[in-house]
Amino acid sequence: MRFASFFGMLEHWTGVSPDAPALIHEENGEKRTVSYAQLLAAVRDRAEVLKSCAGRCEAILADGSYDCVVEVFAAVDAGLPVALLDANAPDEALTEQLNACDAGLVWGDEDLCEELGFAATGRTEAQLGDVLFFTSGTTHRAKAVVLTEQSLCSSAYNGGALLPLAPSDTLMCMLPLSHVFGFVCGLLWGLSCGACVALGRGARHYADDLAFFEPTALSAVPLLLGFLVQRDLLNPSLKLILVGAGDCPPLLLALAAAKGIRVSFGYGLTETSSGVALSLEDDPYAMTVCPDDQIRIAEDGEIVLYAPTCVMKGYYKNSAATAEVLKDGWLYTGDLGLLDGKGKLHITGRKKDMLVFSDGTKLFLPEAEAQLSALLPGVDLALAQEKEKVVLHVYAQNGATEAEIMNTIKPWQQAHDRSQQIARAALHESPLPRTATGKVKRWKL
Amino acid sequence: MTRQELYERTVKIIRDCVPELADMEITEDSVVNTDMGMDSMNFILVICKLEAEFGVKIPNRLWKKLSTLGDVLDALQKYGA
Repeated sequence: MRFASFFGMLEHWTGVSPDAPALIHEENGEKRTVSYAQLLAAVRDRAEVLKSCAGRCEAILADGSYDCVVEVFAAVDAGLPVALLDANAPDEALTEQLNACDAGLVWGDEDLCEELGFAATGRTEAQLGDVLFFTSGTTHRAKAVVLTEQSLCSSAYNGGALLPLAPSDTLMCMLPLSHVFGFVCGLLWGLSCGACVALGRGARHYADDLAFFEPTALSAVPLLLGFLVQRDLLNPSLKLILVGAGDCPPLLLALAAAKGIRVSFGYGLTETSSGVALSLEDDPYAMTVCPDDQIRIAEDGEIVLYAPTCVMKGYYKNSAATAEVLKDGWLYTGDLGLLDGKGKLHITGRKKDMLVFSDGTKLFLPEAEAQLSALLPGVDLALAQEKEKVVLHVYAQNGATEAEIMNTIKPWQQAHDRSQQIARAALHESPLPRTATGKVKRWKL
Repeated sequence: MTRQELYERTVKIIRDCVPELADMEITEDSVVNTDMGMDSMNFILVICKLEAEFGVKIPNRLWKKLSTLGDVLDALQKYGA
């Protein structure tokens, strides 16, 4: 089903089957089921309270809880633009993001809100129905992508059209709701199909959530899938896994498929409200383009998308960055790919100076290098990836050792996700190879 | 519990969770995600096991700040181990 609003989606399924389970979550060690009618009522009640705040942007420190889901739907229904922030992000990043979205109020853990010392800013430029997601990996330079409840619902429709779930299905939601893949493919995909969504209990329960909730479908980033597969944690009733938000080794997909589970691989961006192409047949890397989306390949191999129902409105208060990627309605993804004879999309690489990790996070190399240069002034440095690890290449004329360099960059390490952290410093005896314009030749490192 | 006892029990749990580390020397200065080659999922698993072993809870938001084994031991002690 295609919906224009979160509330409309809940209202529809309440009309079809009010007692059908919408959400399952843990409460005092027990599973608690919330029907569509109950969820709709909770959203309606909370929206009534929030209506007095209409026009202000509500930053939600998303923790994946039942209350968090109600808050998101209620805030949007009450006319508040919403920004979804990762409750586990470092303090500095959260503070910067709160300022960057002009948050007028914050929902989240009280202690955390107090710790952050939040002060409401002026009126937001975000509008009714806007939902802001921060691009993953940009912990220091906050760049918010402005999506809408309509674009998010359209993206969920796309997923459901290619990979339908039945009302009898339970979709496991283990990914952060502050990540658009988690929000759309972990939550909205299930609700838009009238299925039940099991709300994961957070990182501490990655190893036992599947046994506890017994889902039939799961959305996962490659790192999580690897963890579950290698430890044989996939539950017997699981029949469908959607993998996205990062490159996934073929062996991992094959191991999951060998258990009789249908595995689909998806490609999408925050800027497109999540997936634009999904694999539906045996080859997990030959992806069918979603119904609302058109794809063409530019002369240099870049994937260019036309997806008016799903594409972002732009980057919040950053028209220059928007204009760089959104031209005449076409989104320039920065990814390289090709369309095969059957019209299937294959991803072949990345045009941007960006690393994408198996947990779905990204690292923008020029930005990271500028931050590291501030910690290592006068040092010629560059980042590169080696077998999934980030390596800092350094030419240090002052004779600094690897241990000294690693110690100096410790604050940077602590501010970044574990998968993004630098594994080692490689010392060079001469300046790093660069082009005439000063850009580092990463392939030569 | 002394720091040394905490260190020994922690290292044993790490080795149990990540068998690849069985023969590797692990010191308080070892960087948990690089020297030990531990990805973020293994790290979460190790922290959960340590919390269960010592009956403590380290807030999730602090996990990213645990860079070395020494940092992990500090956090365990701070929260009651």
